[in-house]
Amino acid sequence: MAALKSNLSSPPLATVAASSRKHFSVQVLAMELILTALVVFLIFAAPGFASVNNLLNVLRTISMLGIVAFGMTAVVISGEIDLSVGSGAALGACITTSLTAALAPSLGAPLGVIIGIASALVAGGLSGLFTGKVKQWLNVPTFITTLALLTALRGIANMITGGYPITDLPAWFQFFGAGNILGIPVPVFVYLIVFAAMHLLMNYTTFGRAIYAAGGNVEAARLSGISVNLAKTGPLVITGVLAALSGVLLASQIGSGNGTIAVGMELDVIAAVIIGGASLYGGKGTIWGTFIGVLLLGCISNGMTLMNVSEYEQYVVKGAIILGAVMMRQYLDRR
Amino acid sequence: MTATSVEFRNLSKNFGPVNALVDFSHAFAAGEIHALMGRNGSGKSTAIKILGGVLQPSSGEVHVGGNPVHFANPKDAQAAGIATVYQELSMVPGLTVAENLFLGDLGAVRGKAGLIDWGRVNRLAQDHLYRIGVDLDPRCEVSRLSVGQQQILEIAKAMRSDPSILIFDEATSALANREVEQVFKLMRDLKARGVTMLYVTHRMSEIFEIADTCTVLRDGRFVSEGRMSALSHRMIVDQMFGDAEIARKPARPNLTEAPAVLSVKGLSRSPQFEDVSFSVRRGEILGIAGILGSGRTEILRGIFGADPTDAGTVTIDGTTVRPKSPLQMKALGFGLTPENRKEVGLVQAQSSHSNLCMASLRKLASRAIITREMERPAVDQQIRDLAIKTGDPDSPVSTLSGGNQQKIVVGKWLSYGPKVLLLDEPTRGIDLQAKRQLFDIIWQKAEAGLSIIFVSSELEEILEVTDRVIMLRHGRIVAEAQTQDVSLQDLYDICLGE
Repeated sequence: MAALKSNLSSPPLATVAASSRKHFSVQVLAMELILTALVVFLIFAAPGFASVNNLLNVLRTISMLGIVAFGMTAVVISGEIDLSVGSGAALGACITTSLTAALAPSLGAPLGVIIGIASALVAGGLSGLFTGKVKQWLNVPTFITTLALLTALRGIANMITGGYPITDLPAWFQFFGAGNILGIPVPVFVYLIVFAAMHLLMNYTTFGRAIYAAGGNVEAARLSGISVNLAKTGPLVITGVLAALSGVLLASQIGSGNGTIAVGMELDVIAAVIIGGASLYGGKGTIWGTFIGVLLLGCISNGMTLMNVSEYEQYVVKGAIILGAVMMRQYLDRR
Repeated sequence: MTATSVEFRNLSKNFGPVNALVDFSHAFAAGEIHALMGRNGSGKSTAIKILGGVLQPSSGEVHVGGNPVHFANPKDAQAAGIATVYQELSMVPGLTVAENLFLGDLGAVRGKAGLIDWGRVNRLAQDHLYRIGVDLDPRCEVSRLSVGQQQILEIAKAMRSDPSILIFDEATSALANREVEQVFKLMRDLKARGVTMLYVTHRMSEIFEIADTCTVLRDGRFVSEGRMSALSHRMIVDQMFGDAEIARKPARPNLTEAPAVLSVKGLSRSPQFEDVSFSVRRGEILGIAGILGSGRTEILRGIFGADPTDAGTVTIDGTTVRPKSPLQMKALGFGLTPENRKEVGLVQAQSSHSNLCMASLRKLASRAIITREMERPAVDQQIRDLAIKTGDPDSPVSTLSGGNQQKIVVGKWLSYGPKVLLLDEPTRGIDLQAKRQLFDIIWQKAEAGLSIIFVSSELEEILEVTDRVIMLRHGRIVAEAQTQDVSLQDLYDICLGE
């Protein structure tokens, strides 16, 4: 056929080469612009916001949440959800501190801490693996399984500690959560490393691309010969590990492990992911977007506290921001 | 009921700089079935969407029953007695026939105390179905109906407003021949009751069976109109394409000496297919012919590991396996383009680029690390080889036409480089030109050594495209022949059976 033949011999269209440039527009940069505006506003309106100490404090606080949010972003992109991260963090904190306290007398504090942290991370990963396998084998929605784990994991955490905070820890244990390197809080380094790793994972590995495909259309991904089970379970395992890691940092920061750490963290984490533009329907979202979402939430909380906004009012504002961010995105997408 | 005529007068519609319809004038006589033919983009869909109130004309007038009408929305059109039946089935599968019929309108059939009186709903549904001559149980769940029955229910629903004009927009595209017959029977009944029908389809053979007249559009303009009795297949195609030449099947090599690449032995999946055995040679195009429900799609899915099988093996290049998963079968050299391209062939929200790479990520990557730049040569190659009109390969694949979307699904597998490609209804819902291009691609790739299994509910296509054909009835292979030795009549007879 004449039309096809001519196309076969013609060189690639100019648009093909030109399209590798991303189009920057208000739509794409909306959250970045809002964050910038917010920071500028807070510098003037919130006394002490711009001080170095306060900014470092904001960063330390958001790091705990942000580490988990990057994992959650992958989970949400894969079309799933993990409600158990707050309880997972508490369990991680309790495993680490109790093992440290138990093993330090016989093995020495350093080995005790190492075994404690490693065990916490493994337990976190196993919890994610459990959720993924229950989904794979019995088709139980991750919402249900992780809702069950939200309750159960916190129960286990309290069983481990017997309900009392474990404070029998070496003083240097606090370095991870409360210490500084070059004047910058240690959790911030962890946050940035997790950010970079997850960004690379989602954008530059076949695994990451499989996650997007499985979240966008699970059957199309399966029929493309993609391992859908891996693409769904992998992010859950990563998030379990990261939640435990966050719990370790929180325990280190406050110098004790107890079962009431990180209550309600899952809601803040999911809020940051949603503000960052990920779709709960799956297939859509970026690690960078979540990075911005976490910063936005952190700055707002801190700014309102500095401006003496009451805690109750802060809850209302946060709720409005979550809904507003999604409504704005829907509106911009429709245009 | 007195029949109503439809007339378009100097109708034009432009979308920005694109002229979808240019000064289209034509009168459709009352009480007849009128086919509208044309390639994608010819303006036929625009014309019927204006009549259905979905679009508003840029200029010109629509006259219904001799009076000028202006529809701001589909509701206006409905109020004027115009209803549309679409290709996409819009039924809620978990609800009953009756509830689907009254969907969105249940408030009107409420009984005492504002509660829904289900007995009354079912009775009203039964009356309505009886009146238009449709034999469906109002209490039956729609998910238990065949696709053909669902399409009939779709028509029954459109008939609820008792329209005098019924528009069919590709309403039979998803149906196999026997089911199309059911729809045609209903259309003839409606015609006898004086309903005027406008009928848009890609299937040429259908209009000779059902339509009274055929109107051809090209590039948004009126080309010709005639009574079916005075027209031939060839004349209509010529008018649709103008001077464009139609591809003819190239001389196919004799493959009887070529080595077998694939052999399927005793493959079964109860109750869909039973003891299916055949082989495919290198570079051969094998057709599987059968009506809907004969098991042709299920066999392809069974070979590809998409559905579990009860028994049987698949041997490819000397390796024999029980198909377990698409992952496993892809690794062995299989590719599958599924029949429902929109739902499971593509990730609609993702770009053409991402979709084209979806099956070959591991091949394109180096040690599981992959960048857009590493993928781009493969993407560019498929876009060029298959003449895919993507505009920007980074925009969502959902923005492409059906034909181009199908090319993306095919390109996804070609860039993986399978030994055997399974094509399930690759021509469904794409226009004639795209179909021609797709056939050219199939022949080219077969020439280059790719073995292809081609499944289509349009038996004409199987005759046109394939080298050899196996025929199915009720999930069993009933005949096999070199394609050149079978006529269309043979194929119909064997597949329909009885």
